[in-house]
Amino acid sequence: MSAEAPHALEVLEKTGNTMTLSMGPQHPSTHGVLQVIVEVSGETVESLEMEIGYLHTGIEKSAENLFWTQAQTVIERMDYLNPVGNALCYTLAAERLLGITEKIPARAQAIRVVHSELTRISSHCVWLGTHAIDLGAISNFWYAFDIRENILDLVEASGGARMHPNYLRIGGVNGDLPAGWLEQLDVLIEKFPGRMHELRTMLQNNPIWRDRTIDIGIVTPEDAVKWSLSGPSLRGSGIAYDVRKAFPYCGYETYEFDVAVRSEGDAYARFLVRLDEMDESMRIIRQVRERLRTPGPVMVDDPKIVAPPKETIALSMEALIHHFKIVSEGFRVPPGDVYQAIESPRGELGYYLISNGNNRPYRIRTRPPSMYNLQALKQIAIGNLIADMVVMIGSLDPVFGEVDR
Amino acid sequence: MPSSQTPSIAGTALDPTSVRPPLNDAEIVRVTPAELRDTLVRLRDEGCSMLLDLGAVDYLERSPRFDVAYHLLAMPAAVTSVAEIGTPRRVRVLAGVPGDDARLPSVVDLWPSADWAEREVWDLFGITFEGHPNLRRVQMPDEWQGHPLRKDYPLRGPATEATPRPAFALKSNVPAGTPPAGKVAEALQRQIARARGQDV
Repeated sequence: MSAEAPHALEVLEKTGNTMTLSMGPQHPSTHGVLQVIVEVSGETVESLEMEIGYLHTGIEKSAENLFWTQAQTVIERMDYLNPVGNALCYTLAAERLLGITEKIPARAQAIRVVHSELTRISSHCVWLGTHAIDLGAISNFWYAFDIRENILDLVEASGGARMHPNYLRIGGVNGDLPAGWLEQLDVLIEKFPGRMHELRTMLQNNPIWRDRTIDIGIVTPEDAVKWSLSGPSLRGSGIAYDVRKAFPYCGYETYEFDVAVRSEGDAYARFLVRLDEMDESMRIIRQVRERLRTPGPVMVDDPKIVAPPKETIALSMEALIHHFKIVSEGFRVPPGDVYQAIESPRGELGYYLISNGNNRPYRIRTRPPSMYNLQALKQIAIGNLIADMVVMIGSLDPVFGEVDR
Repeated sequence: MPSSQTPSIAGTALDPTSVRPPLNDAEIVRVTPAELRDTLVRLRDEGCSMLLDLGAVDYLERSPRFDVAYHLLAMPAAVTSVAEIGTPRRVRVLAGVPGDDARLPSVVDLWPSADWAEREVWDLFGITFEGHPNLRRVQMPDEWQGHPLRKDYPLRGPATEATPRPAFALKSNVPAGTPPAGKVAEALQRQIARARGQDV
């Protein structure tokens, strides 16, 4: 075997009319590192098997060996398109174990909501851009990434980093929004409807786009439940399950928004659900915008969990001790187990979090929505054309940082 | 054992799930491996039709050593609105698995979505699922030794023969240290040489 990189699409075996092809792991439309070994008869997919795990980095193992606050750093890197969502789910779970869920300041919750919805939009922008590129439409990518760029600027302004801000904390968020942030957000709010209109105009009624996605990769509601789909992939099949409505967190029950849902179950339905979801996210952001006018604390007032403000350590002995304790040995979380779910851009992201009373999490089991959504491809793809594989993979929106963890 | 492994500090619980009243995040059902399938079938027939997730926990010194947690959600398998779904029922089934006989019946025939999750539990914890059609490693390379998420598996250590370097692609397992070859690689090497001021 030569040492050259494997070809994107390689014939492994050929018998009669049936051919076994290897797609990936470096195929551009696998959105990461996924190998699909697919058996085709003519151009029709007869069966397929997937190889995952190429991006496995042992995040769960690493997190078990870090302090509660440190663990969040590696957890944010699971779903790299939705870092705030990962951090949010983890902090909510840890807060439930600590019993401080009720004490989180309203402003902190509002900041979490605005960041979580901004990230949802930016994640859908990446999905839309890359999904469209897979089907040969490149302009959308630039329009979608323009919105994403504005959002990343906002995330950078509040959290300090574009991709993995590590802005959320157990107990609230790390520091208030900087001056001028809301005005920067207003620019996006102003610009967003026009950009969305352009994105929709380019694709929604585009005959090529419709031909390539309508009736492709149909998922019935029965199959969706059997394969544990969630998020837009489930709602594209007509089941309006959204964790934000069913198990509200961060005060989502106080915001007005609709759950985007379509009953056709094909790739086009999932496309429309995500587009509608972006509009709904912006609707939530406009509501949070009003609440963020009111100033207030952004961290829970509990020196055992949250270090007091840095400037107080020169004035107060206790503040200095709390700082020293939290930095050097973290804080302890009462023993117990909890399952916390949030609606990530890909579906129900859950953490089954266990503490044994120590300063490190005992076990973090992730419920990765991408993994379950992607797994359903084994059934969805059967009977479709090999050329439509890229449509089906794209419409399930897998993120391999999360599939492989 | 590396020092960064969770130290045992007095006051920590061997089985945290038993020392605290439930947090009302889900109904909790504890079962033995023998009761597992009947319980899951009963719950599925009661309407908890979606297997959200299954994952394992290693309580090293407890007996039974492992817990495998099945998270179920009541989800109607038909077109439904937000109001019809309301707040669906969540159930967590915890199956205790002894360390010296780490086996559980597979549920792939009940929920096809259990496939990768069961393979992952086998891969990272070494719990066998009887009846699984294709129980092989999913995250770690096929030839890996040991089960990394067990608590007695070290966090770091040198890659020895027992823990080989991960093979990148299935069909072209290039031995570690093999220099890249091919026209692109040669061109790249020429470029590097030029940048270093060497003759090409």
